[in-house]
Formats: sequence, C-alpha cells, structure tokens
Amino acid sequence: MSELSSDHLLGIKYLNEADIELIFSTADNFKDVINRPIKKVPSLRDITIANLFFENSTRTRLSFELAEKRLSADVVNFSAASSSVKKGETLIDTVNNILAMKVDMVVMRHPNPGAGLFLSQHVDSRIVNAGDGAHEHPTQALLDAFSIRERLGAVSGKKVLIVGDILHSRVALSNIFCLQKLGAKVMVCGPPTLMPKYIQSLGVEVEFNLDKALAWCDVANMLRIQLERQDTRFFPSLREYSMLYGLTSDRLNRLDRKIIVMHPGPINRGVEITSEVADSEHSIILDQVENGVAIRMAVLYLLASKIERLA
Amino acid sequence: MESLLLRSAQIIDPRSAHNGTTTDVLIRGGKILEIGQNLSADGVQEVHSNHLCVSPGWLDLQANFNDPGFEHRETLESGRLAAARGGYTAVAVMPSTDPVIDSKSSVEYILNRSATGPVELLPIGALSEGRKGLDIAGMYDMHMAGAVAFSDDQKPVSNAGLLLLALQYVKPFDGLVVHFPHDVSIAGDGKMNESPMSTQLGMKGIPALAEELMVERDLSLVNYAGAQLHFGTISTQGSVQRIREAQQKGARISAGVTPYHLVLTDEVLKDFDTNYKVLPPLRREDDREALLAGVVDGTIQVICTDHRPREIETKQCEFDHAAFGMIGLESTYALLNTHLRDRIPAERLVEMLSLNPRQLVKQPVEVIEEGSVANLTLFDPSLDWVYAQSDQASLATNSPFYGAVFTGKVIGVFNRGMFFAS
Repeated sequence: MSELSSDHLLGIKYLNEADIELIFSTADNFKDVINRPIKKVPSLRDITIANLFFENSTRTRLSFELAEKRLSADVVNFSAASSSVKKGETLIDTVNNILAMKVDMVVMRHPNPGAGLFLSQHVDSRIVNAGDGAHEHPTQALLDAFSIRERLGAVSGKKVLIVGDILHSRVALSNIFCLQKLGAKVMVCGPPTLMPKYIQSLGVEVEFNLDKALAWCDVANMLRIQLERQDTRFFPSLREYSMLYGLTSDRLNRLDRKIIVMHPGPINRGVEITSEVADSEHSIILDQVENGVAIRMAVLYLLASKIERLA
Repeated sequence: MESLLLRSAQIIDPRSAHNGTTTDVLIRGGKILEIGQNLSADGVQEVHSNHLCVSPGWLDLQANFNDPGFEHRETLESGRLAAARGGYTAVAVMPSTDPVIDSKSSVEYILNRSATGPVELLPIGALSEGRKGLDIAGMYDMHMAGAVAFSDDQKPVSNAGLLLLALQYVKPFDGLVVHFPHDVSIAGDGKMNESPMSTQLGMKGIPALAEELMVERDLSLVNYAGAQLHFGTISTQGSVQRIREAQQKGARISAGVTPYHLVLTDEVLKDFDTNYKVLPPLRREDDREALLAGVVDGTIQVICTDHRPREIETKQCEFDHAAFGMIGLESTYALLNTHLRDRIPAERLVEMLSLNPRQLVKQPVEVIEEGSVANLTLFDPSLDWVYAQSDQASLATNSPFYGAVFTGKVIGVFNRGMFFAS
C-alpha cells in the first residue's frame, strides 16, 4: 500500500492499521532526511499550506511549520487566539478566504471537537487536524506510538499508561485509538473528577492509584495538566495533584523494572513530572519532539500525494 | 364554510362508536353531518386516499414560532402553515419570543393572529416574568386572556422555591405548569448526552442525572403543593420510572416526549451533525426503549414536536457553537409511522397526538359522530413519500430528515369550517 485510505487526517479513528504503518514507514525515511546535513527535500515545492491556529500553540505549530519547510512547501500562518465566532466571521468563511488565495492544504487547531471534520465537509481542501478540542490530536498520537516503536521495537503487546487529565485531553483520546489499533494495551490513570464516566467503553483499564498503574505498565505517558482548559476546579491545588499523580524518582525506583516515560509537552516541571524524571534516562521526551517533525512530514507528504498536480 | 366528503375513511377515535370502521363521512356547516356507507352529496369536494384515516384534530403541545422577535426563523403564519401540513389543528406555542409572552397583551397578540383558519394557536405564557426565573409572571391575567399553560420553555426553573410558588399560585384557576427538567449545575456546558459516544467524540456530556435530579425535585414539589405538573419533554429511563411511580401513587403528573427521542439515539452524533443537537439530548438505546414503553403503557401522555426553528448560521457551524433544537411539525407523524407503527397502535397514537394534549390544555375533544363539530386530521399510513426541504412550509431548515423516505403522510386537516389539503 502506498496511499492513505483517507483524504484528510481528521483523527486516528478515521485511519486503519495499514494507514498508520504507512505513515510510520514514510516517517522513518523522513527521520533520516532531517538528520542529514541538508535537512530538506523538494517534495512539496508546488504546495501551499496554511497553518490555522484558533487556539494557542507554540510547539505543535513550530513542529508543523518545520515539517512543511523541510518538504519545501510554501507556508502561511494564521492565528486567532479567540474563536472565529467571537470575531464575527464563521469558520467556513475564514477558511474559504484563505483558500481563495490558492492554498492547497490546511493544518488546523481549533478549540471545538469536530471542527476539522466539519471543515472537511464544507471546504475544498485537504485538512490536517492539529487538535480539535478534547476530541483528537492525531499527529501527537502518531508520534507517540512511533516513539514507542522506536524504543521498544514494536507497539503491539505493550502496556501503555496515560496519566493525568483524561477528561479534557485530545492527546489521551487519540493515543487510546492509535495504541489499540496497533495492538497495545492501554490504562488510564488520573483523578476521578478528570475521568470521563464512560471511559471504559473505549476498552481501556482505569486505575486511580498511580503506583499500581506504574507497576502495570511498560510506558507511562504523563499528560500536561491543562489548567487553561478547565472551567471548574477539578482538584484543589497543583500541590495535591502532584502528591497523588506526579511522577517522581521515588515512584520509579520502587518499580521492579525500568519503564519509559513520555510527555507531550510543554512540561509543568514539579507538577505532573519532576525535573529529575524528565531529564532521566527513562525519558524519551526529546525523541518525541524530533519524531514529531518526521511524522508531520510523513502525513503532509502522503496527503499531498493525493492532490492532483503536475509531475 | 366548506363542505367535504371523506370516501372510505377509517375512523380512529377510541371514544367513538364508529372507531375502527371504514365509512364515508360528510362534513357540512363545520359539523359532521352524516357517517355511513356510499354517501352522496352533489358538488361536494371528495377526499380519497389509498388507506384514508380520520381522527380528532391533533394538538401540538410544544412548538416555537419565534414571533414576535425572531420572525426570520418562523412567523405565526409560516408556523401555522407548517402545522396544517403536519396534521395539526391546534398548536400550543412557547413564550420564547422577544418580547416574552408574559402579559395579557402578548397573549392577545398570538390569539389575534390566529382568529381564523384551520390551525388554532394556543399561547403558553411565561411562568416567570421575562422568563428570567426570578418572579412569577401575571399568570391569572394571561389565563383570563387565553393562555393555556405556563412555562419558561427550555429555561428550567432552577429555583425550587419559585416553581413551588407557581404550582401553588395556579391552583385556584387550575392552570397547567409545563416544566423542562434540566439541572444546569449538573448539565454544565454539555453539548450532548454523556455516554460512550460523548467519550469517543471528546464532547462535554449532559448526564441523565441532570434530568432525573430535576424530575425528583419537581415530584417532591408537586407532592408538597398538591398541584399538577406536566414535564414538557423527558428523555431518560430514570425519568420514566420515577414518573410512573409517582403516577401510581396518584400524583397529577404527566409527561411529553418528542418523536425523535423515540426513534433516534446519540449514535447519530458520530459525525458531529448539528441538526441532531437537541435538548434534552438524544440518549441511549435503553432510554429510547424505556420512553417507548412509557408511551405504550400511558406513563407518557403526549408526543410533541418541540418544533424549534433555528437560523442556518447557528446550525452550519462548529458543534459546540450550534444551537439546540430541530423543527418537526411537518415530519412528526411520518417519522413515527415509518419507524414505530408496529410499536404504537393507531389508537394510542391518536391519544398521544390529540386526545391527551387536548385534555391537558382543556380544549374541546369532539367525538367523531354525527352532529359533532368537525375538528379533524386526515392521514394515510400507507403512503410513501420523500421529505424535501423544497416543499415544506416552515421557514427554517434545521431538520436532519431531508431526503428521508417516509411511510405515512398527512392528507389534510379540517377545522373551523375550513379544509386544508397538505
């Protein structure tokens, strides 16, 4: 197979296992590219990509922009921290305005679940979802699984723990979908107030005790506590959160084997993970960042190859 | 006044001696003149259909016409036309207007605009002034002007003391309070049912608890006040159970349900289609089955359309920003007949659409017999048709059912001496 089954990347749930494997094998090649002295290929030199960020983001945007530039695409950036609705223009109008300037692909981050799917139904462009509310963040899940595969040789059969604010997390949801499609077992851990009531319907295990959860897993993915996405106080203080769910060296040392520690960034050092752990040999946090560029190059490349264009 | 001859019509009216029989019906001078086989009447318009049925005129207990204030969504005129096409001879309209229907003059505005024609409008006055949930509105004044019930529509009365006051206040004139059970502190900013589907979609959920807590609270208030209450629209298994138990203990409690809660579950939201974004939210299969059981055993008395016109801009947008509600006057019968004709017997359906809502808002319930006033709905459960936006009367387009092939069609309505053919 050399083609994705979908014209867009809206979420992991819309991909099949073969799509994911194709993205990984393509990313393997691009990872080689970005480690060469000349980190650039001409593959998308005829493609213009708009990065539309309706929600604050630094690193995802930077990662996408680097991926685009290393593929030689032309790049335009649009950010509006406030939603399009508040600005008075509808999302469709905003995007159509940008597409009218002959843009081929749209990378969009948006605060509302389903915004990417909605856009794909109403505008004529390839859409890459860079995070839609608490729904999906597919490239993050792909790079996480890619990093696990890189470190452990495979994803299938591995036990992956996701810790933190599961309720508001698109990273958790996309990771669950992606890891399960690749045959991993997934457990989620976090305060009950930040756990969706029906999370078990996704086929994951739920554990509220971090030490028990750590004893189970091969990989622990520590989510960032996103205070900005919480409209209610779901726990009394960061101090209490950290006491219950912060990953410390003590906790790791109590385990009978070495596990891998991941974090989607940016890290709140001392909250969900201590500096000592973040900088330890357990951590593959910076590998994740590097792999993020390769994965995004692969996704953009594969979607662009479905656009009809001159050879 | 128009005359009409119904040819080979099956009479569906549980209280009529003619119930179930297929016969001709001659209407003249606004009354049923004759019922019998092979009637003849020169020059009188005849109605034929493959399987013509006639029942007492249907009454929708909950619709929004947004007039005055939001006439771009729906006007009293377009709404009445939609109602006629949907088989309704009367529609109780909610006070979600601007200004709010909370005074005698605004009640009279609605009544004056529907003084003639086959579709009567029955104003529902606001329960609280301006629907603000602070003080009770002038309900007696509105009652005397013709308001048939009192409700703040889908703004639940969060203040239990205020609802208690309203329940007590309307007792001397036997006013009907219609409430939407929805605890906003539990529902929060939810956009759909809290369920495995909301989990998959990363969407904030409205737990069934939000409705059931409020049902429990309201049942206690009704019990305390010795009053009557109608739950406008319920959606959960737990609500049906609690209401059934309260009724068995003799409480004057009734409840309504929309056709789409009887037909759909939250599975339809998997692609974020905003036309399925409604309040109460679409629930799970267990809930749908419980609602259906409630309809069949009489726990739920009313099927209402909850016709809720919305601007296209508030539906063609991100799901979080989309408005709640769908229109339904022109699709309710067809939707029910298409999906549930094996579950809800025809007589039961007529009770739900006509007899029960009429009794609740104290409208005359004419029996189909010679000499009675002709207030009738004509329909054919055997006709197949395609529901299309292009031939609807409603100004709004927020229906998920366009393009659906329905079985069962409204043929027309006859009321106040006038025939309207759908």
